[in-house]
Parts: sequence; structure tokens; C-alpha cells
Amino acid sequence: MTVSEVLIQGPDPEINPEPRSGEVAGRSPMRIAMDRLLSDRVAMICAGIVLLFVLIAIFAPLLCKLFGVEVRAGDPVTDTDSFNYPVIGPPNYGFTWEAPLGLEPNSGNDLLAEWFYGARTSLLVATIATVVSTIAGVVLGLIAGYSRGWGDRVITFVIDLFLTLPFLLVAIAISPMLVERWRENPTMLDNASLIALIVILSIFGWMGLARLIRGEVISLREREFIEAAHVLGMPTYRILFKELLPNLVAPIVVSFSLSLPATIAAEATLAYLGVGVTGRPSWGQTILRAQNWFDEYPLFLYAPIVGIVVLVFALNLLGDAIRDAFDPKSFR
Amino acid sequence: MRLKRTVIAASAIAALTLTAACGGGGGGGEDPAGGDFKAGGGAGAGKDATAEGPLEIPSDAKKGGTITVLSNNAPHTLDPTRTYYTDSGAIMSGLVTRSLTQYVYDEESGDSVLVPDLATDLGQVSEDGLTWTFELKDGIKYEDGTEITAEDVVYGIKRSFAIDTLTDGPTYQTTFFKDGQKYKGPFADTDAELKKLPDYDASAGWYGGEDYDGVEADGNKVIIHLAQPFPELDYYASFPVFSPIPKAKDKDPLAYESHPMATGPYKFESYKPGNSLKLVKNEHWDPDTDPGRFQAADAFDFKFAQDTAKLENQILGDKGAAQAMMTYDDVTPPTYKSIKENAPDNLIEGTSPCTYMYRPDQTKIKDKLVREAISWAYPYQAAWKASGEIVGVTIQPGTSLLPPGTAGRVEYQYPEGQDGQTTDPEKAKALLKEAGAEGFELKWHYQRDDEQSVAKSDQMVKGFEAAGFKATPVASTDETYRDDESNLDAPVNLRYGGWCSDWPSGGSWFPAQWIGSNANKAGMPNPTNFKEADADAKQAEILKMDADEVPAAWGEFDKWMQETYMVEINAGYDANAFIKGSQIGGVVNDPVKGMPSFSIMYLK
Repeated sequence: MTVSEVLIQGPDPEINPEPRSGEVAGRSPMRIAMDRLLSDRVAMICAGIVLLFVLIAIFAPLLCKLFGVEVRAGDPVTDTDSFNYPVIGPPNYGFTWEAPLGLEPNSGNDLLAEWFYGARTSLLVATIATVVSTIAGVVLGLIAGYSRGWGDRVITFVIDLFLTLPFLLVAIAISPMLVERWRENPTMLDNASLIALIVILSIFGWMGLARLIRGEVISLREREFIEAAHVLGMPTYRILFKELLPNLVAPIVVSFSLSLPATIAAEATLAYLGVGVTGRPSWGQTILRAQNWFDEYPLFLYAPIVGIVVLVFALNLLGDAIRDAFDPKSFR
Repeated sequence: MRLKRTVIAASAIAALTLTAACGGGGGGGEDPAGGDFKAGGGAGAGKDATAEGPLEIPSDAKKGGTITVLSNNAPHTLDPTRTYYTDSGAIMSGLVTRSLTQYVYDEESGDSVLVPDLATDLGQVSEDGLTWTFELKDGIKYEDGTEITAEDVVYGIKRSFAIDTLTDGPTYQTTFFKDGQKYKGPFADTDAELKKLPDYDASAGWYGGEDYDGVEADGNKVIIHLAQPFPELDYYASFPVFSPIPKAKDKDPLAYESHPMATGPYKFESYKPGNSLKLVKNEHWDPDTDPGRFQAADAFDFKFAQDTAKLENQILGDKGAAQAMMTYDDVTPPTYKSIKENAPDNLIEGTSPCTYMYRPDQTKIKDKLVREAISWAYPYQAAWKASGEIVGVTIQPGTSLLPPGTAGRVEYQYPEGQDGQTTDPEKAKALLKEAGAEGFELKWHYQRDDEQSVAKSDQMVKGFEAAGFKATPVASTDETYRDDESNLDAPVNLRYGGWCSDWPSGGSWFPAQWIGSNANKAGMPNPTNFKEADADAKQAEILKMDADEVPAAWGEFDKWMQETYMVEINAGYDANAFIKGSQIGGVVNDPVKGMPSFSIMYLK
């Protein structure tokens, strides 16, 4: 029996439709958690919303075609009037299917297309950054926790070092460096800014998880089953990934589901500050452009804000639900 | 004069207010360039040598109160010698420092008129045009009660020769004054110090120190000796460069800006560079000597580097303290619309003597046909709108390089039919084909961290590519943009810039921007690297002409230069539109500076 089976006991761990058949159906802790999650209505609604956003992100080009809009194709001369306000749709005219979310003042770009592609940027950046930081956090946490001695000390030192680096400052400082490096190649610069953003979000996202994992490993490594594996001559990597890792699924999943929304918010913040992605739509940038127009044209600002709020809120609730599902001590 | 704004794309220009421009037609498209500019928008051509103080305070003025002025920009420096941007010039000349001459706003003509300030008249010029004499009025005092002397004015002028220590100031004195190229100001008075200056040349005969006979004081007279005639020196004498600076207070020249000695109606109370400036009444200023300023409010409170949206909302709200607030920044489209509809009295529109230009580098874009092609390919309307300009309000299509209102301006269209706002990719393609330069690569700087600059750049890419160019925007940032643009080795062949008249004649345009001797120099004083022997010869000839022929000659030169060499692509005349709170009175746009005239402001 592994330790997790002791730790994780559902509200009714021995549910078995046919208890008398004489056969005890074994259920993995993962399975138990998933069952609890599936029966949580809030979690399922949130998962649906998140799925919807993911689909929007993946099929942004198709959706644009469906609505007959095009990203960044506005012509200021024909699409805006003498006050630089859009000539169709809000704020001066009623709803039109030609531009369901309206056009952007000054440039005449379509805001629905901007919103679809903004969702794409947000989810792309946040997903990659969170996956990378989770993998880094897990691997380093495992190694630190299991290698008593200097390995642990070095990694702990690195964790502390990264925790002291001011995230915003580094993000703001990197941006002009990229400009300096790729100033004559706009396409490269746009790609570099995207990659740099993912890297920055990744390298500032792994420390918390690494610490958590390290602590868990330290408490697990003295257990008999690890000792046994060790005595049997199992190679260290096998102990780490076959024996320890399966016992850490719960904290990892919880950490992932909670850091995803945080990363989305961080991406928008950086874009708003002008140091995030460039050359492709982003909700943060739209918010930046929209704030001057708020009094006259509130929809311009509301659309990206609603996007961020709904997505982050759904992800947070889902994350909470996942944590509850994996935590044997919580009952709802 | 340089434009106050560093971020040109996000900013404002001020062009001339077309009488018909505010109607809101489809994109302001059909106004024939020129012709219907508001009558009297003739930036400061008038002079009145006999004007005398005091200037009457309007009857609706309430004595006292503080006028708060907010801006998104911050002046680079407030040292009178270095004041060469429109914002710092308007603040210093309008309120703090008195020069030999000054401009006063004339309500009847809607124009600014040159009148005496410290001097009793507009200067007496000798027969050969090489000596100017200004006689100072008696009894004018500094803020500490000591009397100003002709020596102090002379010291101030000498100080302006130290262009390496006191950078960014106007430099006409080095061209026109006696020994202007050799004299290096009062600070570097030993050879060792001179050697430290950039571009030191042992054979050039440089000298420094107090010993300079180009300017002298004789009793209460300031006498200026010139190397070549400078018929427009009386206009130049209105710059703060010609204000008295007591030598005793100038121990550290770079620190003088923290508290320049006031001679005008207001003095510094506190100044935090880049942040705020508080001016309070100068008790020793005598209204009887000053025909151009009055002292109605108790104080002026300038707050720089403010958030645009926030400051516009405050002023737009017009509640409580905000009623005594104003800004000299150009209004943004959403605010323009709402103030136009709700409180048109609080919107001030006017002209500004500035032209924006795209400036092909002559050493990189050598073919005139290609330069002409750019003028047909550039997406005028789209670029203005994308960068947040309101066509007809903050920018005006431009044709001649000299902005309307300049004396002697000749209205022309070059290339034929280019009215300053027509984009015709087919014509551009044809020209490129003729030049055998299809796919010519255009490279220009944009500010990557400025959304409006990016949006404008996107439109330019679209426009240029439609016309058969290869378009490569080169990234810069808000912070480095100005340095990048004036970097001679920058990887671009198309620069963007604005130039404003220092006085309303071509004399403050061509020798300052397109003289061959300035080409290919660090800092790009000649932004197109334009260097043609016949153009230089023509300019030298005009400088030698009689004062009354000069303006028309510059007007003709403008036309000749563009037709012969197609040096610049005119990207529009600047126009001003700024907003104020309802309690502030006397806010008019000074067409000479393209700024509000602070000197005649009061609270109602």
C-alpha cells in the first residue's frame, strides 16, 4: 500500500456498486479525485467556460471568417469619421453584424477579431509558460528534496535567488534589450518578444512549486517504500519518477490550475505596460488603448476586461475545485 | 524652434485652424490646401516699436488665485540660455524672463506682434547692417530688487556661445555674430578647458572667457557686432537668450536652471525638473515698463509628466479646483468630441508655425524620382488618424514647407497635384519603375512601446507596400527615439521630424535645417543630409539681401528647393487644440509659439 492511499480517502471510499460480489475494486487516488471533481457542478461549469475559451483560441481564424471580420485590417480613412470615431457600430451607431464588437477608433480595426486573437495570445502564452514552469519546478523540487547535501543547498539557493529578483523590473528591462537586438527585423522582434515573454513568465513561475515539491519529497523519502526501493538497488531516477512523482500528483495539479490564471493576468498586465507581446493582438494592449475612450466608448474597454475576468475567474474556481477534489480533508 | 514633444506620433501638432475644418465631413478630405486658412493667422509678421506698458488687465479678471497647468510632457530644461522648445520658451518668456523684445497677442488680428521688452525700441541697426544697438529701459529690477544692467544682458548673450556646456539652445549667434564660430562662451577660458570641448581644432583659433567684443555694454546700451547681416535679429532678440543673467548668480552654469533670476511678473518658488514648477508673484516687476504682460493671478502651478487621460478628465469635468486648470497638450479625439459638444468655450484652437516632415536621407535615397514616389505612397490620412491626430484640428495637410503665416511664403504643390493629403500608389509605382527602383526598401523608426506609433507604422507599411516599396519599420522605444532619430549611423533612410519657425520668415528655416555645411554631422543638424552647392550658394545670397526682400526670397527658395531636389515629404502642418477650465480667462493661442500665451492669463 502506498502512502497516498492512506492519505486520500474520499467521503465514501468504499463505494462499490456490487459489494457482495466478493471482489474489491481498486480505485486509484487520481480516479477518486476525478470522481469528486465530476460531481462538482461549479467545477464543471467553469471547465466548460475554459473549454470554450480554448476553442475560441484554437479556432480564432475560423471564427473570424464565420463572423466575416479580419484581424488588423482597418482602414482609418474609410472606417473612421472626422472625429476618428468608427463609421459603423458603437458608440455612435447601433449594433451591426458587420462588426459585432464595433471598430476601434483611430485605426478602424475590428474589435471582435482583436478579441478572438487576444484570447489566443493569452492562452498560448499562459499555457506554455505554466507548463514549462511546472516541469521545471517539479524536476528541481524532486532533485532538491531527494539529494540531501550540496545538491539541495545549491537548488535552494537558486530558488531563493530567483525569489529575490523583482519580476516587473526584469520584464521591463528585457524589452529594450530585445529592441536593440532585433530592431531591423520586425518579424523576428515580434517573435522574440513572444518567446521572451514566455521565458520570463516561466522563470518567475517555478520557485513556489519547487519549494512545495521539495518539502513533500523530504517527508516522503524517509518512508519505507522509498527505503525499500533504494535497498533493492533501484536507480535514483526511477525512484524519483516512478516512486515519488506519483505521490505528488495532487500538489502539482493544484499548483498548475492556480498558476494558469495568474499567468494570464500577468500577461495582460505586461501588455498593458507596453512590455508584453507586440505585433499580435493582446487583451492587455486593447485595454491600454481603450482607457482614453472609456467615457465615450465603454464597449471598447469592456470587451477585453470581460474576457480576462471571465477566463481568470473560471480558471480560479476550477483550480479551487481541483484542490478540493485532491484534498482528502475537504468535504463539500 | 523645436517642438515640445518628444513623442511625435502620439502627439500633437498644431496646424492652422481651417475655418471650415470643424464641420466633421468625411475625414476632412476635400479642403483644398491653403486658401482658406483663418485670416490673420499670420504668425507674428507685425511689429510695433512704440508699444508701452502697462498692459490693461481685462475687466472680468478677479485678482489673485492660482492657475494650474497640466501637461503630459516635461520641459527638458528651463535655463534661459538653453530654452529652445516651444513649451519651455512659452513659460519662460511669458512669465519669468524678460528679453530685449517680446511678442504680444493682438486680439483684433488674432496675431502676435513684436514689441519692445527690456529695450526701449526694437533695436537700431547700423548702415552696413553689422551693428545692432538696444537701449535698455531704466529702473528694471530682478526679483531680489537689484537693478539689471546692460552688462548682465551681455553676459547672458556670451553665455549662449557655450553650446557644448549649455546644450540644446538656439545657435544663430554662432552663425551671425562676430567670431561666432571661434568664441566658446565665458566658461572655458583656458586652453586646457577648450581642448576638452568636442571637435576641438587647434588651428581654428578658438577662445573663451569674458573677453569677447562681439557684444558690449555701453552705459545702458547693449551693442551687438555681427559677422554678416542678420536682418531678423529683432525677432531673435525675443528669445530668453537675450535676457539678463547676473554673473554672480551663475557660479555653476548647469545649476542656474534651478532658479533663474526673474525679471518678469512671476518668479520661481520651487522647481522639480521633469515634475513640477511653482511660480509666484515677483514684487519687483513694474507693469509700467512692460507692454506685453500683466500680473493678475497670484501664482502659476505647472505639473509635468501627467497622465493624459487623467488630466483631460479633470479639466473636462470642470469641477472645483479643476476650473482653474488647463493644459497645453493637444486634445485627444474622444475629449475633443465631448468638449466641442458640451463646453466649446473651454476649447482653444489655433495655429502653430510648425511643419511635420518625412525626411529621406539624401545619402541613402539618391534618386529624386524615388523621393517623389514616397510622397505619393505615404498614406497621409491613414497615418494621421492611426496616430490619433484629428485631421483639420490637430493637423492640417501641408504643401509648401514654410507653414502658412510665414512672411513671403509661396504656395505651391510639388509633385504636381500633391495637395499634402493625396495617396496614389499607381503614381508611385510608375515613378519607381521609371527610376528602375521597384521594391526599394524604406526604413524608418517607430516606437515599439507606443501603441499609436505602432498603429501609424502599420499603416505606413500598408501604404508603402501597396506602392511597390519594400517597407521595414525599425524598432525604437519612447526613451531612445529622439537619440535614434538624430543618430547619423541609424539603420534608416527615412526620418520623421517637425520644425517650427523661430520667427515668421524662412530665415529661421533654411539655414537652420538645409545648409550643406551641417550635412553628415553627428546629431544630424541637417536631418536629410542635404548638400548641394547651388542650394548653399542661393542661401548665402539671400542672407546678404536687404531686410525687406528676404522673406519673399525664402518663399521662392522653398519652392525651388523642393522642385529641384524634392528634399522633404510634407506630412502636415501642426495645429493646436487645447482645453482649459471655465474660470481661466485670457487663454489664446500664440501663433508664434504654438502655445497658450501665459503672459495674459487670469482667473475670472
